[in-house]
Amino acid sequence: MWNTVFPYLLSGISVGGQYALIAIGYTMVYGILRLINFAHGDVFMVAGIVMVYMAASGLPLWLCIVLDLVATAIIGFAIERIAYKPLRTAPRMSIMISAIGVSYTLQNLVLYITGGLNQIYPKIPWISDSITIGSATTKVVTVVTPILTILLVFALVMLINHTKVGMAMRAVSKDFETSQLMGININSVISTTFVIGSFLAGVGSTLYFTNYTTVIQTSGAMPGLKAFVAAVFGGIGSVPGAVVGAFIIGIAENLIKGLDIILFKMGLISKPMGLAIFSDAFTFALLIIILAVKPTGLFGEKSIDKV
Amino acid sequence: MKKKLDLPHILTVIIIIAIYAAVFIAEQHMPPTSMLFTVLKKGATYALVAVSMNLLNGFTGIFSLGQAGFMLIGAYIFSIFTIPVEHRGIVYQYYDGGVIQFTLPVLIAMILAGLVAALFAFLIGLPVLRLKSDYLAIATLGFAEIVRTIFQWDKLGPVTNGSNMLRLFPTFNDFNIKNADGTVAVYLSTIIPMLIAGVCIAIILLLINSTYGRALRAIKDDEIAAEAMGIHLASHKQMAFCVSSFFAGVGGAMLAMYQTTVQAKSFTTAMTYEILLIVVIGGLGSVTGSILSSFLFVAASEWWLRFLDQKQVINGFEVPLLRNGFRLVVFSFIIMIVVLFFRQGIMGTKELPDLFRKKKTAEGGAK
Amino acid sequence: MKDNVLHIENLTMQFGGVVAVDNFSMDINKGEIVALIGPNGAGKTTAFNAVTGVYQPTSGRVMLNGENITGLRPDQITARGIARTFQNIRLFSSMTVFENVLTAQHLRRTSNLFSATFRLNKAEEKRMREDTEALLKQVDLYDLRDEMAVSLPYGKQRLLEIVRALASGPKLLLLDEPAAGMNPQETDELGEFIRRIRTEFDLTVFIIEHHMNLVMKISDRIYVIEFGKQIAEGRPEEIQNNQDVIDAYLGGGDEL
Repeated sequence: MWNTVFPYLLSGISVGGQYALIAIGYTMVYGILRLINFAHGDVFMVAGIVMVYMAASGLPLWLCIVLDLVATAIIGFAIERIAYKPLRTAPRMSIMISAIGVSYTLQNLVLYITGGLNQIYPKIPWISDSITIGSATTKVVTVVTPILTILLVFALVMLINHTKVGMAMRAVSKDFETSQLMGININSVISTTFVIGSFLAGVGSTLYFTNYTTVIQTSGAMPGLKAFVAAVFGGIGSVPGAVVGAFIIGIAENLIKGLDIILFKMGLISKPMGLAIFSDAFTFALLIIILAVKPTGLFGEKSIDKV
Repeated sequence: MKKKLDLPHILTVIIIIAIYAAVFIAEQHMPPTSMLFTVLKKGATYALVAVSMNLLNGFTGIFSLGQAGFMLIGAYIFSIFTIPVEHRGIVYQYYDGGVIQFTLPVLIAMILAGLVAALFAFLIGLPVLRLKSDYLAIATLGFAEIVRTIFQWDKLGPVTNGSNMLRLFPTFNDFNIKNADGTVAVYLSTIIPMLIAGVCIAIILLLINSTYGRALRAIKDDEIAAEAMGIHLASHKQMAFCVSSFFAGVGGAMLAMYQTTVQAKSFTTAMTYEILLIVVIGGLGSVTGSILSSFLFVAASEWWLRFLDQKQVINGFEVPLLRNGFRLVVFSFIIMIVVLFFRQGIMGTKELPDLFRKKKTAEGGAK
Repeated sequence: MKDNVLHIENLTMQFGGVVAVDNFSMDINKGEIVALIGPNGAGKTTAFNAVTGVYQPTSGRVMLNGENITGLRPDQITARGIARTFQNIRLFSSMTVFENVLTAQHLRRTSNLFSATFRLNKAEEKRMREDTEALLKQVDLYDLRDEMAVSLPYGKQRLLEIVRALASGPKLLLLDEPAAGMNPQETDELGEFIRRIRTEFDLTVFIIEHHMNLVMKISDRIYVIEFGKQIAEGRPEEIQNNQDVIDAYLGGGDEL
């Protein structure tokens, strides 16, 4: 029984870590701008594509990774400046539509550049190697991901709680207008948020695509949505919440992928039910349930509208 | 009281009749393979779906992203119930011909498609419509993804054909009236879809201009004030959601007829985004805008901008950048420009009759 | 006892640890104009919101004409005869003056979605429009009927918001700082207007206001609250001479 479940659990933890790195970008941006950055998943995908093209240019792989992360951060910064900043005083629907427009644009740009073909992600030494742990044979990246995720989240939480820019971020997410009056440079705080979020999505993309090995223009859509669900699940605006949510969703999704086999081994079903297909749908069902029962998520704060 | 049929309205009616007449005549005399008819058929389908989305996003202020899900339901219900019994064996080849062994008339199946979509909307609306704008958007989007999965589930195969394609159901071409020898006597394959879309859009317009429509606009403008005016938010939102989904379902049925095949995996979030962008380009809160924008969008993507996707050599000079996918890139940039700099879209909140009215001056208001 | 319209009993409104309204009770009788005054943040608007159903009271009861309306939704409360205006004007911005008022008629519809969409309710729609026209004529807004509501001058917007509330056919009208942002002349006119509609529409009026001249001129009785608690109640001249009220408005004598 355990031997059946373990491989799914392990890859669940790994994917969960990758979702967590994307989810942080969603949750931080939402915390400050109250915007679902629909383009964030596509930034994650673009990070993968940039890596593919950089590796093909013959640069050393370690340099590619560094440049890729820098490029991803710059892309995140640029998107905010071009597509969101001009709409800061516009109704919320406008900025959300703009985010959808950016998502559409990024996907079409990548479609144009790649010709819509699957791109093979470069093999990064060591983390692409296979290892066997107990009953599971997997890549090293599966084990590295959760550890790296926890380290990065720890660093981020330290940054938010113990640095000046972190304090500014907390202030802005508590009260946008007042912090502006207090002399906080809103624009630089927002930009920092996008840079950090995109950088982490870049790290996530390196780990994710090492695991899944191909990138295409739609590769970011589903992980992006799931990471967003994770952020909502954990209580949007809360970094630790997003991480916990991401791990839960990653694990649940992978267990469902193996549900047929697990149920079969347990003797509960006699033939496969084709349940694996619901691994994505489950995430969204979870989202709707959470929103209906506890819209503020696991760690979110309640707010009251003023009339 | 003022009479409703003033000059701008009369002009509008004349224009609409003229368009329909022109299409009918053109259809009889131009080759049926002309790009024009493709654009009109798909444009009419998209126009209906876009207007139904506008009813929610533009008129009620509910930011829903579930459109593709309701279209999928409509497309499936329509095709499942209209595939002729004799073809079911081929279509449902992996499921012994499926469980449904009867066929409904096309129009009945279309209405049923709408009703089932509306029923799903009602059920999902109960938990989801209480949510605030952005949460509602993501929840409806999630709902569409769930629907897409369920319809592909192997266990439902006897009904939905699983992840396989549905086909061989009636298409727009079956609206043509044929002679005994099989040649077409009267071409109706373009005009009928346009009429169906026209009637549906007219119903939506009637709703928008009724007392219920005013209540919906009140909700969009200010929920708290609307509630204080005695408008029950939950039931009115639910109503708008169901009506919108009904017409999205009918639109899905039309899309099925246009495409001639249906497969769940094509009803993606990207489809919803595309329709949303059409609505935005036309103007959130303008039915005329949504219609215009649908036809423009379809014409540009299927016809006028096709050349962007092909290599062009002019006088031995190969135009740079032109290759597969460039059209979509150009499109994306146009959309971003509209979103960022022309937020009102083509029509703002104006309708066709407003264009014939003299611009209202401020003399009445200023002292 | 005279005809009681609004009866509030031990109303308490708590947000987390903050008690915005604390065990507040009051009565309003038919035809009265009653004012609720107090320093900023005293909990006046919160009390309004608890009466109109925007907030669910933490405890206490609200009765309208003897019927318990505590915990009902805002639209249900409006349907039972309480209409209100808002401190920060909340007109329907995409609508004309006429449509703003017409929308308030929706409440009294007998048509359903189907009959309204397919115009089977012609008589009702006609009645709604005629009532709206009559109302606009009665309050001298008829000439502005086709203007966008939000393009009106500020004072007219305040007026329109009151008229829209009237169109819902209330027994009790709640006005939340109707004179805010008005000049002295407009304020005077507003006072006249409130008295006039009380008679013409057979209304009872409950008003929150900071313009003391207006309050003293039009109110039959005044309630004063501070930190969510009632500190005084009485006729205008009684309130003017009440030491607690004077202290409250001067910043509280104890600390000084």
